[in-house]
Amino acid sequence: MSADAPRNQPEREHAAPRYEIEGIRFGLRGRITLAVALVGLFLSVVLSFTTLTVAQDTLLDKREEGLTARIAANSATIRGNVTNADPSELQTLLSSLPDGGIPSLVSLDGGRGPVTVSVDARYGVESLPPELRSKVVEDREPAMMRFATDAGTLLAAGVPIPDTELFYFEVTPLYDVDTAIRTLRVMLIGATLAATVVAMMLGFWSSRYALRPLKRIGEAAESVAMGQLDTRIDYDAYAADVDLAPLVANFNGMVSALQDRIDRDARFASDVSHELRSPLTTLNASIEVLANNRDELPERAQQALDLLRLDMRRFTQLVEDLLEISRFDAGAVRLELDDVHLVPTVEAAVRAASDEPIPVEAEPGLEHLVVACDKRRLMRILANFLDNARKYADGATGVYVESHGADDIGPAPTVRIAVEDNGPGVPESERARIFDRFNRGDQGGSRGTDAGVGLGLALAAEHARLQGGRVWVEDRHDGGQGARFVIELPMIAPHEERDDEEPTDLASITPEEAESLALTGELPAIRMDQRTEPPRTITERHEAGTERT
Amino acid sequence: MGDNGAVGTRILYVEDDERIRGSVKLALEDEGWVVDEAGTGEEAILSFDRTPADVVLIDIMLPGIDGFEVCRSIRRTSDVPIIMVTARADTHDVVAGLEAGADDYMTNPLQPKELSARIRALLRRVRPGTTANPRLRFGELEVVPQEGVVTRDGEEVHLTKTEFRLLVELASHPGKVFSREDLLEKVWGHGVFGDGRLVDVHIRRLRTKVEPDPAHPRHVVTVRGLGYKLQP
Repeated sequence: MSADAPRNQPEREHAAPRYEIEGIRFGLRGRITLAVALVGLFLSVVLSFTTLTVAQDTLLDKREEGLTARIAANSATIRGNVTNADPSELQTLLSSLPDGGIPSLVSLDGGRGPVTVSVDARYGVESLPPELRSKVVEDREPAMMRFATDAGTLLAAGVPIPDTELFYFEVTPLYDVDTAIRTLRVMLIGATLAATVVAMMLGFWSSRYALRPLKRIGEAAESVAMGQLDTRIDYDAYAADVDLAPLVANFNGMVSALQDRIDRDARFASDVSHELRSPLTTLNASIEVLANNRDELPERAQQALDLLRLDMRRFTQLVEDLLEISRFDAGAVRLELDDVHLVPTVEAAVRAASDEPIPVEAEPGLEHLVVACDKRRLMRILANFLDNARKYADGATGVYVESHGADDIGPAPTVRIAVEDNGPGVPESERARIFDRFNRGDQGGSRGTDAGVGLGLALAAEHARLQGGRVWVEDRHDGGQGARFVIELPMIAPHEERDDEEPTDLASITPEEAESLALTGELPAIRMDQRTEPPRTITERHEAGTERT
Repeated sequence: MGDNGAVGTRILYVEDDERIRGSVKLALEDEGWVVDEAGTGEEAILSFDRTPADVVLIDIMLPGIDGFEVCRSIRRTSDVPIIMVTARADTHDVVAGLEAGADDYMTNPLQPKELSARIRALLRRVRPGTTANPRLRFGELEVVPQEGVVTRDGEEVHLTKTEFRLLVELASHPGKVFSREDLLEKVWGHGVFGDGRLVDVHIRRLRTKVEPDPAHPRHVVTVRGLGYKLQP
C-alpha cells in the first residue's frame, strides 16, 4: 500500500541510443536496410566501373590494332608507288588507297617547307594535335594518339615513310566507340540503381524477417502492459533458434512472475477481506448483545462497553477503508455506472450523514439533472466529506451543486458538488497533502473520541478518479472562515441511446469502455485516469476463484 | 424485546464459522427471533425439510454445498424469504445469489440491528388497503393482493413473497413510474444506500413468471432512465 506508486502504467520513455542523420531518425530496421543498400550500391558501382573500363579498353585496342595494321600497309604502298613529291601526284596516291581511315601526307621534299596533302581537309595533318605531328615529323618516330574534337573522339597515327621525306598520317573517328561506351554507361548506371533498390528491398525484407520475433515480443510486452497478463509467446516456435529461444523463455518467465505477483496481491486483499471480516462480525454481534444487556452490567463494565463500542465502530470503519483502498491498489475495482438523479441523491446522502439539517443548494436548472456515475462511490465521497466536516468543524454548513461548461477547464462539461464548513479551514500548503493516506492535516494532532484515521479523503480521491473526476479543497465560496471540499465529475448523460432492458445499465463497465463510449460520441468526452482500472481478467479470476474458497 | 412482532418467528441461520454463528444467534435472539443453526449446506437443507423456517439467512461461502446451491435447493420447494451474506457488495456473488433465488443480501460484518430490520421488511405482508380494488386485472393477468394470488389466463402463477409484493406495489398505481429507490424503500425497506441490482434481478424474475414473452415485456415495462411501471 505505498502511497503514490504508479500502477499499471507502462513506462513509455526509454533512454535508447539515437541514430539520426540530419534530424532523420532511423530504427533498427531502417539501419539494416540502409546498410544493405549501401553495400549493394558500393558493389554495383565497383562492378560497373570495371565493366566500363574493360569494355572501353577492348574496343579501343581493336581499333588501334586495325589502324596500326592499315598504316603499315598504306605507308608501304605509298613507298612503293611514289615517284616524286608533287602534291597532285601525292593526292592521287592517297585517293587510291583502300578504304579505312582518312589518310594525309606531309612532304619535306624541295626545301620549300613542309607540304601537306590530305583527302579530307577537315581531317588533314593541320587538324591533328601538334605533339603528334612533331613527334612523327621532327623525331621521325611512329606515334598514335586519341584526341577529342567537337564532333567526337578521333584516333590518329603517323609514321615516317622510310627512305623518303614523306610522313603518312591517318585519322579514324571513334564516334561508334563513343556511342557504345555512352550506351553502356547509361545501362550500367541504370543497373547500379536497380541493384541498389533491390538490395534495399532485400535488406528491408530480410530485416523484417529477422526482426519479426522482436516485433512479436514487443507486441506481447504491450499486451502485458495493457493488462493481458496471460499473454505468452509460443516457445515451441522459437525453441530451435539458439539466439531467440533464451529471450523468449526469459520473457515468458518474466510475465509469469509478474502475473503471479499481481494475482498474489489481489488474492491477499481478498483473503485479508475475509479474514478480517469474520472476527469483526463476531465482535460486532457480541458487543451488540452486551449493549442490549447494558443495564445488567456493573457501572465500570458499562463504561468499558461504551468505549469498546466506540472503538469497534472506528475499527470497523478502518478495516472497511483499508480493504477498499487495498482493492484500488490490487486493481480489483470496478466502476458501476448508474443513472443518478443528482440532487435527490445528494440530499439523501446529507440526510444519512447528519441528524442536523444541512441546506443543499442546487443551481437553477439542475434540480432534475440525471448523470451517469457510480452512485455507491459518489455516496461514499459525500459521506467522507460530510464526516470530515463533522470531525474538524461543527459539521457542514451547506452543500452546493453546480455545473460547469465545457470551456471552463476541460473539453467536457462537469458537475461539482461542494461541501462547506466553518471550521479552521485548510492552509494552502496542506491542500494537496490532505488527500494523502493517513494525513490528518494540522488539526489532526488532537484525536477526538471519534476522529478517523485519515483514509476517508484518500478514498474519496480514489473514488473520484475512478469515475474520471477529481476532488480538491479550496476557500469557501463566500470567502468566509472554513473549508470547501469539492468533488467534480464529468457530466455524462444517462444512456438513453442504449438498448437495455434495465432502466440503467447494470453491466459494470471499465473506465476504458466508458472512454470509448465517449469517443464514439455516445457520451460527452470524459477524462479517465486509466491507472486505477485493472485488467478485467484478474478481477474476475480474483472474484470467482479466490472469494469462495 | 418481543415488541416487534418477531416472537416465534424462526430464522434458519446457515454459517460455517462457529463463533460468528454463535454471536449472531445471540444478537438475533435478543431481537426476539428464534434461531435454528446449520453449519453446512447439507445440514441446512435437512433442517429446512424437517422444520421449515420463516426466514433463511445463508452465508455464501460454505464448505461442501455452497450458499448458492442451498438457496436454489430451498427455492425449489418454498417461497420463504432468503437473505444471503456475502463478503463484499461489489462482486458477482451478489447478482449470482439473487439469481439463485435470494430476496436480499447483506455483507459481513453483519450489523444485527440492520439485519433484523431487513428481516422484518421481508416478512411484511401486503398492507390492507394498498389498493382500492380487491382484484386487479391487467389483460390476461389478475392480481388478488389480499389473498396473495396471481393468475395468468386463469392459471395461478407462483411468486415468492418478495416478487408478489413488488408486483402489488407496481399494481397499486398502474401506469405510474416507480424509481428503483422507491421500490427499494417500499418493498425491501432499504435506505438511500440500497442496491438497485435487487430491483433489477427481481423484475427480471417477475417477468419470466408473469410475462408471456419475458424478452418483450408487455406489463412490467422499463422506463429508461426513470424506473419501472406496470401497464394494463
